[in-house]
Amino acid sequence: MKHMALLRPAAVAIGLMAAGVASAQELVMGVRGGPESLDPHFSALGSHAEAAKHIFDTLVWSGDDLQIEPGLATEWTPIDDDTWEFKLREGVKFHDGSDFDAEDVKFSIERIPVVSGPTTTTIYVRRVKEVEIVDPLTIRIHTDGQAATLPNDFIRLFIVSSEAAADYSTPETAAEGFNSGAATIGTGPYKFVSWEPKGDLVLERFDDYWRGMGAWEKVTRKEMPNDSSRLAALKAGQVDVINYVSSVDYLALENDSAVDTIKGDSVYIMNLQLDQREDTPLVRAKDGSDLDANPFRDLKVRQAIDYAIDRETMVEIVLEGLGKPANQLMPEGFFGSNADIPMPEYDPAKAKELLTEAGYPDGFEVDLYCTSDRLPGDGAICQGLGQMLSAVGIKTNVNAVSKTVYFPAQGRLEYSMFMNGWGTLTGEASYTLGGLAHSNNPDVKMGAFNRIQYSNPEVDALMQEGATEMDADARRGMYEEAMAKIMADKAYISIVQLQTVWAAKAGALTFTPRFDEDTLAFFMKPAS
Amino acid sequence: MLGFVIQRLLQATVVMAVMSVIVFCGVYAIGNPIDIVIPPDATQDLREEAIRRLGLDQPLWRQYLTFVTNLLQGDFGRSFVYNIPVLELIGGRLPATLELVLISVLSATVLGVSLGIYAGYRPDSWFSKAVMAVSVLGFSVPSFWIGLILILTFAVNLGWLPAGGRGETVLVGGVPFSFLTLDGLSHIVLPAINLALFKLAMMIRLARAGTREIMLTDTIKFARAAGISEGVILRRHLLKLISIPIITVFGLELGSTLAFAVVTETIFSWPGVGKLIIDSIAVLDRPVMVAYLILVAFLFVLINFTVDLVFALIDPRIRAGATE
Repeated sequence: MKHMALLRPAAVAIGLMAAGVASAQELVMGVRGGPESLDPHFSALGSHAEAAKHIFDTLVWSGDDLQIEPGLATEWTPIDDDTWEFKLREGVKFHDGSDFDAEDVKFSIERIPVVSGPTTTTIYVRRVKEVEIVDPLTIRIHTDGQAATLPNDFIRLFIVSSEAAADYSTPETAAEGFNSGAATIGTGPYKFVSWEPKGDLVLERFDDYWRGMGAWEKVTRKEMPNDSSRLAALKAGQVDVINYVSSVDYLALENDSAVDTIKGDSVYIMNLQLDQREDTPLVRAKDGSDLDANPFRDLKVRQAIDYAIDRETMVEIVLEGLGKPANQLMPEGFFGSNADIPMPEYDPAKAKELLTEAGYPDGFEVDLYCTSDRLPGDGAICQGLGQMLSAVGIKTNVNAVSKTVYFPAQGRLEYSMFMNGWGTLTGEASYTLGGLAHSNNPDVKMGAFNRIQYSNPEVDALMQEGATEMDADARRGMYEEAMAKIMADKAYISIVQLQTVWAAKAGALTFTPRFDEDTLAFFMKPAS
Repeated sequence: MLGFVIQRLLQATVVMAVMSVIVFCGVYAIGNPIDIVIPPDATQDLREEAIRRLGLDQPLWRQYLTFVTNLLQGDFGRSFVYNIPVLELIGGRLPATLELVLISVLSATVLGVSLGIYAGYRPDSWFSKAVMAVSVLGFSVPSFWIGLILILTFAVNLGWLPAGGRGETVLVGGVPFSFLTLDGLSHIVLPAINLALFKLAMMIRLARAGTREIMLTDTIKFARAAGISEGVILRRHLLKLISIPIITVFGLELGSTLAFAVVTETIFSWPGVGKLIIDSIAVLDRPVMVAYLILVAFLFVLINFTVDLVFALIDPRIRAGATE
C-alpha cells in the first residue's frame, strides 16, 4: 500500500511530461458555453451545435459567412413543388469505419422529433413530410407544400450513424448512449473520447475525415463561462485559444505581446423595436397623463427616433470599437440584405423638428427595456440609447434586465419600446424577416417573433411569395425589396452589428472568424 | 440520549417536508422555463409538444404530488437542459465541491483556532497583533477580488499554479478525488485559499475572544494554583470550554460553504455544484433547482443534527436537559 502511494506522484510527473511533449499537436480551447448532451439532435442551442460540429457533419454546410455550401450532400435540386433531391457524398466513412449512406440520413431526420429536448431541434425538419431513399447516395425529401429554404433548414441537421444510434433513439436512452460514447459515432473531423456536463469535451483526430486530416491530434474543449477566468487560463498558458473576450479586456489585450486577438463580425444586430398597437402600455406625457394615441404609430416620431441615434458614438464609445453601425436587420452579404439602403444620419435638430411636426413639441416619456446579460454590450447600448433619446426630448427610462425576465415579458407584449439582439443564424432572410416583420400569423407560420404587431401588407405579400418561390435569384429580389420597405417604416430600427473577439497565445494558431461565432478546432491551423 | 436523538430526527423530518413545499412553490413562481428554452421560431405545435413533454401542462399541485411520489422512490426527475437524471448530474459534481470545501474549512479551522488561541493567550505579542491585523483583511476584502488577485499573482504573473479547473483525479471507491495527485493538488491550492480566508479570519476571532474570556475565569486560576502545566490547561480545559461556539460556527460555515461556494467555483472554473446551480437558475432548469435546494436543506438539517449530537457529547448539561 505504501509503495502505491509513493509511486503515484512519479507516474503523474511522467504523465505531465508526456503532455508537454505532445502539446504541438494538441489544442486546448476555453469556450463560454458547451453542449447540453452529446446527442446532436437534443438541442438547437448555438453552443450545442458548435460542439456537435466537431464530431458530426451536416448535409448542408454553412460557411464562414453563413452562406450555404455542400457538406455531406454534394448538390441539391428541387424536382417539383414539394420535393427536393439531395445527392450524397461518396466514400464518406463513420468513425467506426462503416460507410455513410442514405439510410443514415433518413434515420437522422426521423430520429429528431423523437429525441429533441425543449430547445427543440424539430425546427430543422418541420417542413419534412417524408424521406424517400432512391439509391444509397440519393434521397428525396417530400415537404408539406413548397419549402424553398429547406437546404437552409438543414445546416444544423447532424447525421448520426443509423447502426450505432439504433438502440439509443428514445428520450430515455438517447442521453445515456451518446454521453457514454456508445452512439457518438459521426463522420466529423474528431472522434469522441470523453465528456462531462459543463466540463471538458475531449476529442481525438479522425484520420479518414473526408475534408482531410485535421491539424491537431487531440482537442480539449473546456467550458469556462466566466469571462475573467477564461482570460486568466489563457494568460496562465492552460488553454491555447478562448472565445468571447469582453470589450474591456480587448483593449488591454491589444497591447499585450503574449496574446493575439482575432476580431470577427458577429451575426447579431441590435434592433430597437417600437410597439405598433393602438394602445401601448409604457408611454405617457411628461407630466404622467395619458397620450391621445400611441406616438410610435406616427412615422414622423419613428423617423425622429432614428435621427436621434448616433451610431458612430455607439460603436466608438459604448462598444469600445467592437461593432459596426447597422442600417438593416441582417449583416451585409446575407441572402436578402439590401445594399441600396442608406446608412441613417445622426441629426438631433431634425429629430426635434419631426417631433414638433408630429405634435410632440415637448416630447413624451417612455420606458425602454433591453437585455443586460445576453450579448456583449447590450446593457451599455441601452443606456446610450436612453441618453440619446432624452437629448431630443423623449424622456427615456432605461431598464436593462436579465434575459430570463425580458423575453417572457416581451412575449406577453408588455413593452412599448425595447431592444435586443437578433442573429440571422441561417444566413438568409426568410428566418429573420419572416419571424420579425411578417404580421403574426400562425396559419402561414410567420411573424412568431413580431412582438410589436408590425404589419405591412406589402411586406407580408413579398414574404409569402418568397417562401414558395423555388428560383433563388427571384427570391433574393423579393427579400431585398421587403427589407427596404421594412427599414423605411422604421418600426424596427437597427443600431449596431456586434463584433466578437477571440484571443490566442501569440503565434500559436490562425483561423478565419465565423459569422455565427463558432469556435471550430478543425478550421484552426498551427501558425508555423 | 436516545430520546434526544429521536426528538431531533422528528424535528428534521418536519423541516424537510415544509422545505420541499416552499422550494417547489418558490421555484415554480420564478418564471416559465418554456419562454427561455424554446427557440423563438418554434411553431405553436412544437411549443405545446415541449410543454407536454416537460409535464408543465399539469396544475401545480399535481406536479408537486408527482414530484414527491418520485422523490420517495429516490427519483429526483430529469434535467430539462441535459435530459439526464438530476441525481447523476449533481452527484457527478458533488465530489469536486466536497473536497474543495472540506479542505478549506478544515484547514481554516485548525489553523484559525491555533492562531486564535495564541492571540488570546499572548494578546500583547507582536505576532498576535499581526495575526489580528491580517484577520481584519480576511473579513473586509471581498472574496471574488481576492480570487482574481490570487490568479493574477500566482497563475498569470508567476506561473506557479494553474488559473482554474480541476486537475487529474483518481478514483477512491468509485468517486473521483483530485487532492491525491500532484496535478490535482496544484489546482486545488488557490481556490482552497480563496474559500478559506474568510473562515480563517472568523475562527481566529472566535478562538481569541473565547480564550481571553476563559483565561480570566476561576477555573484557570485554580488549575494553575493546582500546579497543572500551561500546555495541559490549554489543551484539556481551555480548548474544551471555547469549543461550543466554534463547533456551532464550524457547522454553519461547512453547510453554507458547501451549498454556496459559487463565487469561488465560478472564478476558478471549479466544476462543482455551485456553478451548476447558478447555470440552472439562468435557464430555469426546474428539476435541478428543486433537487439541489432540497439536498441543501437536507445537508443543513444533517449538519445541525450532527452539531447537536456533538454538543451533547461534549457538554453533559445539554444531554441532561434533553432527557428531563
